[in-house]
Amino acid sequence: MPTPFETTRSGTETTLTIRGSLDINTAPALAEEIDRIVATKPAKVAVDLASLDLIDSSGVAALVKLYKAIRGYGGTIAINGARDQPLAIFKLLRMDRVFNI
Amino acid sequence: MSILCWVMAPTIRLTVPGTLRYRGIAVRVVAEAARLVSCSVQRDPDDPLAHDVRDPFDTAVVSAFMEIFNNVAIHAYKRKGGGTIEIEITPGEREIEIEVRDHGNPFDIEGVAPLPSDLDEESLPEGGMGIHIAKTMLDEMTYEPGPPNLWRLRKRLTEQPIAGRS
Repeated sequence: MPTPFETTRSGTETTLTIRGSLDINTAPALAEEIDRIVATKPAKVAVDLASLDLIDSSGVAALVKLYKAIRGYGGTIAINGARDQPLAIFKLLRMDRVFNI
Repeated sequence: MSILCWVMAPTIRLTVPGTLRYRGIAVRVVAEAARLVSCSVQRDPDDPLAHDVRDPFDTAVVSAFMEIFNNVAIHAYKRKGGGTIEIEITPGEREIEIEVRDHGNPFDIEGVAPLPSDLDEESLPEGGMGIHIAKTMLDEMTYEPGPPNLWRLRKRLTEQPIAGRS
């Protein structure tokens, strides 16, 4: 089973790739990774959701936490690649416009 | 390709311990039951355990059910288990009904706050979205405090007739 998320850094940009299911069981581990990312205050964060198959409200909450934290210190964040069920959830919550998905 | 996949399906019953450990099992059963109604096809038939929820009907059913299962495990059983979650899934030709029963604490559904109407960076919610997702995804959702507490979820197909779907 692949790792549900992975962080890579290139210069001032950090990319967070999330795979599989981001849900109430996997979101706590992601939240810890988010804390580590935010602690380094990267100027730009890219979140790659192209391999994310399922998300629930706990997963959305984790992404909102990341978004607010990055924006809170003036960083930029781009959420890319959402499709299928996750995209439907972002649209239902009207977060697709805020996240510019 | 036109297909006619639906066959008379009996009610599917699944009882799991009321903890998040068993969430994945329940979600997979519900996803496959939704597929009986939507006639959606697995992206990779050789990987039947892959999360593959792309059809709008499957998306709505699975998304709503995941939130209700979370709610029961967290609110009814306080993340400690101690009871069961009884799931009854009735796939029909053009709809699915799912009943979820638990024997834990009743949930105050009237106390669920609505999402902010104007969403921006400041008002992005970090919680309280689950019931909103479930209710919006479904055609009907009712909750009756128990014991047992009972969630009843219903989703209808709104697309073209089955024979015309591909």
